[in-house]
Amino acid sequence: MADQRWIAAVAAAVTIGGGAFFTVRALPPDPTPVAGFSAPFVFGRFSVPQDNPLTEEAFALGRRLFYDPVLSGSNDRSCATCHIQRLAFTDGLPKAAGLDAEDLDFSSMSLVNLLWGQERFFWDGRALGLEQQALLPIQNPREMAQDLEGLVSELNGSRQYRRMFRQAYGDVSSENIARALATFMRMLISADSKYDRFLRGEAKLSEQEELGRKLFMAHPDTKASLRGGNCIDCHSQFLTSGFRDGLDGFSNNGLDRDADLPAGLMAVTGNPAHKGFFKVPTLRNIAVTAPYMHDGRLRTLEDVMDHYNDGVVVSDTLSPLILEADNAASPPGSFVGLRLTDNEKAAIIAFLRTLTDETFLSDDRFSNPFEGEK
Amino acid sequence: MMLHNELKGALPALLTAALIATAPAHTEAQVREESHGVVLLRGLPTLETAHSIAIVELDPEQANFGELLSEVEQPEMTHPLHHLYYSPAGRLYATGLDPVCSLAEIGLERDATGAPQVTGFDCLDTQGQMVGEDIMWHSSNGKEYMFVTFMGGLGGDDGGTLGVFDPQSNAVVKVIEARPSQVGADQPYIMYPHGISAFQDRMIITSTVHPDLATGVGNALTVIDLNSLEPIQNIVVENEKPLGFPSSPVEVLFARPTMNENIKPAVLVNTMFGFETWKVPYDEASKTFGSPEVLYSGVANNTAVPLEFYGTETELFISHALPGVVKRYDLSKLPELVSTGPDIQAEAGAHHMIFFKSKSGRDLIAIQNNLLNLGNAADNDPTDVDFIAAVNAHTITVHDLATGERLGTVNFREKYNKGVDNLEGLFGSGFVHHH
Repeated sequence: MADQRWIAAVAAAVTIGGGAFFTVRALPPDPTPVAGFSAPFVFGRFSVPQDNPLTEEAFALGRRLFYDPVLSGSNDRSCATCHIQRLAFTDGLPKAAGLDAEDLDFSSMSLVNLLWGQERFFWDGRALGLEQQALLPIQNPREMAQDLEGLVSELNGSRQYRRMFRQAYGDVSSENIARALATFMRMLISADSKYDRFLRGEAKLSEQEELGRKLFMAHPDTKASLRGGNCIDCHSQFLTSGFRDGLDGFSNNGLDRDADLPAGLMAVTGNPAHKGFFKVPTLRNIAVTAPYMHDGRLRTLEDVMDHYNDGVVVSDTLSPLILEADNAASPPGSFVGLRLTDNEKAAIIAFLRTLTDETFLSDDRFSNPFEGEK
Repeated sequence: MMLHNELKGALPALLTAALIATAPAHTEAQVREESHGVVLLRGLPTLETAHSIAIVELDPEQANFGELLSEVEQPEMTHPLHHLYYSPAGRLYATGLDPVCSLAEIGLERDATGAPQVTGFDCLDTQGQMVGEDIMWHSSNGKEYMFVTFMGGLGGDDGGTLGVFDPQSNAVVKVIEARPSQVGADQPYIMYPHGISAFQDRMIITSTVHPDLATGVGNALTVIDLNSLEPIQNIVVENEKPLGFPSSPVEVLFARPTMNENIKPAVLVNTMFGFETWKVPYDEASKTFGSPEVLYSGVANNTAVPLEFYGTETELFISHALPGVVKRYDLSKLPELVSTGPDIQAEAGAHHMIFFKSKSGRDLIAIQNNLLNLGNAADNDPTDVDFIAAVNAHTITVHDLATGERLGTVNFREKYNKGVDNLEGLFGSGFVHHH
């Protein structure tokens, strides 16, 4: 009888304790909205998925995951391996290096101001949102080669990660890994370059930079004697990224002839009209993200300007905005290129250098959290 | 295992390919907040409300049509802010009627959900220039400036100035003043300037009416040489005087080939008390203006108080406060006024407007119907001035742009106990051409 009472008492304690345990586990997280959020109004409207609001806990978790090699199958590669903060989250290589020692197909894209602009990600637009984008390199056998179930298991083995996931979302899961990484990337806002300060009325551009700004913003019109660099036709005025509407943020910018034209967006849409289309990248911090283009073929900004000036290769899907942009009057089809002067090209490059945001490139909030723990 | 991983990796891409489609334009319009207007609201003294700057939803298809999404009040100001303008750098400015704030920069920001907020406004130093009206950004000798007309100028019975500001620092660069009583007979003058427009190195401002609406009324345009930043010519635009007053030219549009390559340069101007729209031809080569001619007579067409010019890519719209209509013309045929369809029937005081798409993709025009920031004597409102009370509907009407059909009305007086004095798009101006 005494044993039975003891067993009943233990059972009750276990039940109560277990109930409490499950009660605690079942409590929904109550994360903190990000404090002091600030973004230039001119960047325009943005929306964040309702099931993944910007919170301090999600940002902290996403930052840690971004820099943690545990995300790769071999535990030696993190997102930051190919997205380095001081290079505006690029890697300085023409094409990112694959695990098999071969180059990947594309260069590493800069991660900046992702709340705005085109909502399809990767050079070929194969991801429809940041949550979807975040998991693809992790699973790609040539990039991080990580099995998601295995990753969840590894993260569940860490008391710190269990706590951080619980505070941000609840459980450790692949969905929540994606949400946290997406939150970190959404918070990578660059808005303190010289150009931003100019827009706010806090800085003046030099004469050369101002000429470059005007050229950047103008489509050439020989009838109106208007000289232009034609940049704004693809790179928006404030964000300098591709446009958000539909597939406007993708373009064939004249790098290859038809025979050599890669699939680009066509690989995703199946539409031959999209052959050779690649995502128009942001030009924010462009001076530190060399080399340029989807395959890193152009080494310097001077090379880029030369390409648009007289190196454009005509193909069937070449952007009509490039095809018709010429600062010299000539019969249609006789020449494709901007035909800017050397001074004008230098001015555009000078303006592009005003897009470098040193605050962003060294912002502690975006840096490797593990370095602070050493 | 590798094959398995590759298949798993390929699945999202395949799904993407299956789902990918170009988002319809109307969806994008919603993303751009095209249906959000920034409005300047006037507190009505008898209704004990304060002036304010607000963001309002203007798409009748939205459940929150007519709701204020954000509002900042200005209880310290006797007279409200007057006209809103976005600078080329995307900064939002407002002119003001109160001498304590004749020009202001308005703060806008977004919270972490992306929702827009009005954060307040900073009154700028105008060096004594009062009653700000219109703003235009244009260059002089290759350098861009912010030009502001101040209908009260530095004060006096024949005052009025054109303020030239540094567009970065907002500092006054020059105050252009040329009172008739100071410059002498037959010399170019500036008096009660309101409307402003420019082409190349010539700027046109209008001589409208003394801010007290009693001391004096103008009847001329002033041509400013943007090389010297000095007035060089006056052009009288006056014919019929249906009210017995001088014509009071108000808004002006320098029609120019940069708006449409078919346009031959000419100045279009509306006369508030003459009820007319005038054309003044301009010869680019000689930089000379031709003889003014009446293109449109309100007396002959039963309209009065023509006010604003607004343009889309294809049409020019002119608002007429009475009976409250917006007339539409072919932009490519300017400077001639070639109608493109029936008038849009707004309400008394038809004035400013913006263009945007509805949630379902319908092209809309929203028209602010309120002539001046003045109330009605019937409400014991001390700001009433005779006929003006009859042209203050205090509404924004929203119409189908193609047919003119009215789809919704926001009556600010009924809904918020306030008048509505100005309307601009929240992100971007909401129009292609204005000055």
